[in-house]
Amino acid sequence: MATETDVLVLGGGSTGCGIARDLAMRGLEVTLVERYNLTDGTTGRMHGLLHSGGRYAVSDRESATECIEENEILRNIAGHCVEMTGGLFVKRPEDSDSYFREKLEGCRECGIPARALSGREAREREPYLAEDVSRAIEVPDGAVDPFRLCVANALDAEAHGARIETHAEVVDLLREGADVYGVRVRHDSGPGRRNHGTSGSTEEITAEYVVNATGAWAGQIAAMADLEVEVRPSKGVMTIMNVRQVDTVINRCRPKGDADIIVPHETTAILGTTDEEVTDPDDYPEAEWEVDTMIDTLSELVPILSEARTLRSFWGVRPLYEPPERGTADPTDITRDFFLLDHDERDGVSGLVSIVGGKFTTYRAMAEEISDFVCGKLGVRAACPTAEEPLPGSENLERLEDGMDDFGLRSPIARRSKQRLGSRSRAVLETDEPNPVICPCEGVTRAEVRDAIAQSGSDLNAVRIRTRASMGNCQGGFCCGPMANELHPDYDEVTVRRALDELFEERWKGQRHALWGEQLSQAMLNYALHATTMNRDRDPASADPSDPEADAASLEYAAFDAGEGR
Amino acid sequence: MRAEPSNPLEFARTRPIEGGEIMSDAERSTDERESSERSRDAGEFEPIQVFPEAEEMDLRPGADDCYKCSTCDTNCPVAEVDDEFPGPKFQGPEQWRLKRKDDHDVDESVMKCSNCMRCDSTCPSEVPLSQMHNTARGEYVEQNMSKFSREYLRNRILANYRRLAPLAAAFPRTANVVMGLSITRWLGEKTLGITSEREFPEFATETFREWWAKRNGSNVSNPDKRVAYFHGCYANYNTPEVAKALVRVYERFGYEIVVPEQHCSGTPMFANGMLEDARRSAETNVRELASAIDDGADVVASCSSCSMSIRQEYPELFDVDGTGDVAANTWDAVEYLRVHEDLESALEGTSVGPEFDEFAYHAPCHARNQGLDGQTLEVLDVVEGVDVTDVGDSCSGISGTYGWKEENYETSMKIGEEMFEHMSEAGAAAGLTECPTCSMQMEHGTGYEITHTLEVLEAALVGPNAATEST
Repeated sequence: MATETDVLVLGGGSTGCGIARDLAMRGLEVTLVERYNLTDGTTGRMHGLLHSGGRYAVSDRESATECIEENEILRNIAGHCVEMTGGLFVKRPEDSDSYFREKLEGCRECGIPARALSGREAREREPYLAEDVSRAIEVPDGAVDPFRLCVANALDAEAHGARIETHAEVVDLLREGADVYGVRVRHDSGPGRRNHGTSGSTEEITAEYVVNATGAWAGQIAAMADLEVEVRPSKGVMTIMNVRQVDTVINRCRPKGDADIIVPHETTAILGTTDEEVTDPDDYPEAEWEVDTMIDTLSELVPILSEARTLRSFWGVRPLYEPPERGTADPTDITRDFFLLDHDERDGVSGLVSIVGGKFTTYRAMAEEISDFVCGKLGVRAACPTAEEPLPGSENLERLEDGMDDFGLRSPIARRSKQRLGSRSRAVLETDEPNPVICPCEGVTRAEVRDAIAQSGSDLNAVRIRTRASMGNCQGGFCCGPMANELHPDYDEVTVRRALDELFEERWKGQRHALWGEQLSQAMLNYALHATTMNRDRDPASADPSDPEADAASLEYAAFDAGEGR
Repeated sequence: MRAEPSNPLEFARTRPIEGGEIMSDAERSTDERESSERSRDAGEFEPIQVFPEAEEMDLRPGADDCYKCSTCDTNCPVAEVDDEFPGPKFQGPEQWRLKRKDDHDVDESVMKCSNCMRCDSTCPSEVPLSQMHNTARGEYVEQNMSKFSREYLRNRILANYRRLAPLAAAFPRTANVVMGLSITRWLGEKTLGITSEREFPEFATETFREWWAKRNGSNVSNPDKRVAYFHGCYANYNTPEVAKALVRVYERFGYEIVVPEQHCSGTPMFANGMLEDARRSAETNVRELASAIDDGADVVASCSSCSMSIRQEYPELFDVDGTGDVAANTWDAVEYLRVHEDLESALEGTSVGPEFDEFAYHAPCHARNQGLDGQTLEVLDVVEGVDVTDVGDSCSGISGTYGWKEENYETSMKIGEEMFEHMSEAGAAAGLTECPTCSMQMEHGTGYEITHTLEVLEAALVGPNAATEST
């Protein structure tokens, strides 16, 4: 038996969630399916820059103009996801003077407010900038939390009647002749809010129209209907620093190159990035030298980075695309513009559109254009409201700033909580129950964790992206347990243990590339806490009761060597 | 794999605040100035004025060293007795890490920190905890505490005890009577929030500096062995016998002593978040001490908090010219003799009279933080006629002005309980320590008379003839 919907959106990234919200607000019945968590693909693996457009002001003025327009819109509709840090394009002595002038000129022509600063002025603003930074251009770059923004879109889509299914992987596109009419998905733990205790199932969802918004994975999805989409996935590494060495986005003012941006992101600073084409967006090498390059190169702009602590590194895959006939060799030269591939016009297969390319800052404009297209196909006439309607959490933010109390929390905790929750603060934080801090690194309290659990079920990674709990300097070493504890007694012990393991494994993954200096000490302490004190490395309670053979006690002594020089 | 940075802490602890001119506006090219004019006309984007903040201390990088182990919290004497106090980990690295540049809402609980600085010495990872606390407290007082509040006024008075002391010292007998009156103490509590439980320390009828002037300064002239004595306020106004003991002991070793102009070391000001007052004091002290060092002297202090302040807090908090040099050449008075003289040999075979017998010794937290907690026991071990028992590593609880505040009195006494118990178990009937306020607390909690280590050394090395000098 199949479930029916008007529009089926594949992919729970910024594009998919943006489209789902847009169409739901226009009155369509929308279902969105995502194979893991929201933001799990490319959206959750970006550096968090809200472009002013300055980065494209020389090479691609059309994109630059679009960026500044969307930048201003997002400040209004998603104020609680955006921090207007401002940005600097800084020039080192070896960087070209003429490019600096072109950049300034380009910003002016694209309507991007820009101002030239001397090196001294730039350092007054950011004291850790290198002594030999000679000039800078100030632009209205900002920092945006991609998790919060994407989730807010999904929440608002749900508020407008949409169905958002995470952990629902598309296993087949349903095609009959020249018409795509739906998908078959596999629910990891049943439909609805995630519950690790529920067994998996499959479901057919049919739709009037299917939107393939899976970005770097669009080719794999299209192939399920024997269609070809030549995405050119390109990986980039990002390294997260423990603290904000800068409070302003720092861009290097030169034409192109790896490791040229530092974004102050929440409590951290994110270093980015590289650009290298890969064949499979799910399987590509992650190399230590990429991280080293990042730190070494950006230390030229902010020297203390070379001695600073990194929390983790992660790789993201850009969904780059260009029409195959262009044949650009270097992925850095491939346009960041998006492409709407109408498979009807292109391949003679109706009912399906694929979206590829594009960038996070302009996700809303992309969603608007695609929604217009889908509405056209379905004969729906409704105006797009997404440029004016604030997202949940960003309603009347200015008024809220003044009147809000601290909800009995210590002031820095209250401040951070309110910055994350925006206008939802009172609804979430006002409670008669004790509200202890669950994640001390990020200042996340029990009330916020419980609010996230109510949204996403037993999935602690979903709680993480909603709250930032476990994203601080101990990387979950101290708070994973207490977070899991909040699932009980609504969820049973087996569920809670699975959820805890899943979160802790995810936290560990990114730390592999940060194991030196203080983060190594942190990892050792985390290990001591979890493995020895909490017995998590071979806890008999974790053993599968149905399989007595899989006893955790069998240690492979042969796997150890004698040690160096013996 | 990246190598561990040679000293990741260096920049966090001592990085001077950037203020130097690197490039003047005049060096900017003409077209740059023009284009900046143009964009000002075109853009409605008004960048936030952030220049004043560039002058402020940024301790966020110090949070890199914290891996959350909580050793500081388990060693914090305030957190041990006060469940409402979140502890040094929150006050320091966590609070700083949560900051964005424009944020100023430091949590008010920072005022409950007693600045004992134990967290500094227990941290296994060299997090600059007390520097973070001092700076946060300074920010809290500057941004969040009303300058007209009773609390501010009271803290300002306590922190600037030195400013009032000369007045009391001018009429010490009257002052002692007035301060001792129960009506004064009652008023102190009701109007200012200074606890009426404590008795104000007595003022000496003659300050150390008056005595020093009358004595015409040092009896020894020796350009090769010269020390500049930082006596601090308490030894000057309240316990000149300690200062005199230092003079006689050092002269016994052939030192020429100079006593430079000096202000309060700043300890009570840091503890009350009065960083501007502390900076002014530090400027005077650094200037005067640096000039003594130029004249070939090393700096010695008899108060463990004074030496702590000059050695650690000055370089952490201020970029006054010469701070590093002064910090590097400042010593605890007993430590200096152990390093530069053979103090133990000199004490070998010495004895003290019946005025000293058995002592319960408390190592002040600020001595402990300088690594000096074992010193007194080792030094006095060889002196005949004196028996010293260490009362353990608990904090006395008074922490300078902290225990003087009405709202902290009970916490202060709870912290001190362990020390009081150990003192009474020690079997001695007198106390020994190097910190003035620890001695107040020891006396307050046990009724014992409290002696400074230098007084015992004086008795052992100089003997009873010392007393004849003090006319």
